[in-house]
Amino acid sequence: MDEVIEAVKPLVQRDNGKKTYPYYIENPVTENRVERFLEAFAAVLHFTDYKPLLDSYCTSNAKCNRCAVTCPVYLATGDPKDIPCYRTNLLLETYKRYFTFGGWANSRFSNGTDLTEEIIDEMLDLFYRCTACRRCTTECPMGVDHGLMTRLGRYILSLIGIVPKALQVATREQLEGETHNTSKIPKVALMDTLEFLSDEIEESFGVRMEAPVDKYDREYVFFCAVSDYLLEPDTLMGNAVVLYAAGDWDKWTIGTQDFDGINYGLFYSDWHLENIIKQLVHEVTRLRGKKILIGECGHASRSAHDFVPVFAGKESYPVFNFMEYTLDCIEKGKIKLNPNIITERVTYHDPCNISRSGWIVEQPRKIIRSFIKDFVEMEPHGVNNYCCGGGGGLVSVDEIYNFRMNIGGKQKADQIRETGAEIVISPCANCKKQLKELVEFYKLPCKVMGLHDLILKAIEIPGAKSAEERKEEAAMFEM
Amino acid sequence: MAIFEWEEVKIDVDEDGFMEEPDQWNERVALALASTEGVAELSEEHWHLVNYLRDYYQKFGIAPMIRKLCKETGFPLKKVYELFPSGPAKGACKVAGLAKPTGCV
Repeated sequence: MDEVIEAVKPLVQRDNGKKTYPYYIENPVTENRVERFLEAFAAVLHFTDYKPLLDSYCTSNAKCNRCAVTCPVYLATGDPKDIPCYRTNLLLETYKRYFTFGGWANSRFSNGTDLTEEIIDEMLDLFYRCTACRRCTTECPMGVDHGLMTRLGRYILSLIGIVPKALQVATREQLEGETHNTSKIPKVALMDTLEFLSDEIEESFGVRMEAPVDKYDREYVFFCAVSDYLLEPDTLMGNAVVLYAAGDWDKWTIGTQDFDGINYGLFYSDWHLENIIKQLVHEVTRLRGKKILIGECGHASRSAHDFVPVFAGKESYPVFNFMEYTLDCIEKGKIKLNPNIITERVTYHDPCNISRSGWIVEQPRKIIRSFIKDFVEMEPHGVNNYCCGGGGGLVSVDEIYNFRMNIGGKQKADQIRETGAEIVISPCANCKKQLKELVEFYKLPCKVMGLHDLILKAIEIPGAKSAEERKEEAAMFEM
Repeated sequence: MAIFEWEEVKIDVDEDGFMEEPDQWNERVALALASTEGVAELSEEHWHLVNYLRDYYQKFGIAPMIRKLCKETGFPLKKVYELFPSGPAKGACKVAGLAKPTGCV
């Protein structure tokens, strides 16, 4: 109970006049934050297209609070400050007051409010209590995208140095570091890991598959959330065996100059979003690839899918999520999954970044139904799903663990419990990490896996050990 | 950046107590870091894990895939958690002097 109270407390606290931020910040700014915020806001308005959008939102943001009941954070806390409208309004009021004539006049002759240090404190807290899941956008009668407003608010804050260290350190390594990826995995370590995964597949399937690295002129260039190379062997091996079984082994490659699909720019900075996309696209161009294939990761898929066409110009490539590829293979009869291998009750968690727009909702369900008998849905699901509670980059911010468990992920934990599922499929690196922590925190009797982790178990590859044989061997090993 | 002191050991650490300069690591530092993880003494099994991580880190510049760690040390993940309650990344790697993992880890 203490933990709940701890998590509900306002995150920004003053201790003997010394401010403590809710998350680690590399160089916390303490002076002239209002002026600096307004300067940064002016610069963003000057160099981007946000102005017409903000003008429109200023007239349409009705503050009707219909979004309140859609927000998992508000549902957990009941605090009016967690209502999406309220948060968005902090930014809109500032915009109106300083960047529109009406707002300026109102502040002169009436009771308009000025931006203050306290409002900055509120923004830097509330914009990182939002998981940017955009569930509220589905209910907003005026079409306000509160998730986008969260990103814009975070963007402006980041320009004055207020950004969680976890996000900043990762994007810096990705764009300026030697390894060019968020987890600092050097090329030699990638090669060692791929070798290890090839050994694992050989041990299990009796077939050797050497991952193609830096091959030119391949149809697909593969990018996963780079953390998968540290944490998710089964997801990666599941991806590999699908490519192998479908006869596409000589049609894909991993690039060594950039093998990270993660793009935290989507969460806090348009500048980083653009440059990380460009880096990814350049790698595909270097390898003369034709398509971008993103592994099991929600935000990596969305950022590439939505923003490669925006930022890549003539270099643009079609972007596919791996589940689209796998479903295509199943529908064309290129791969075969044994329907008798997965006997547990299974549910599916929709990663917000790929499901909210309706892009990836039916594909994974078609895959699941093709080989899993006991599949139950969470309610609500699909376009209307609940966030895992670690969205918008929050999962990387370890120090807000209490918030993520007690507030952000509360609805999701309840949903999972109600399904009675033994396996929660979560095809996203962010969600996997958060859900694994939730399952442990709430002592839920289930395990969290990727969709391709299950495909790895059930796939039948001609000439390799059968799924039944592999299952028996794995059971022996576990004993 | 903060300075962590334990007996004669004095090292730079980040907010969560991970080493800022992994090259300054030695066995006394490991003991010092273990004390912050609620591990009072390092048994032979602890050292087996820590030394494996250390060797891998020196060779490849990062921690190994967790599955590989389990396989090569012969410790199932459960055992790793028994040895280091915060787990492989936040417990074992910390004691082995690696920097805090970044990204979605």
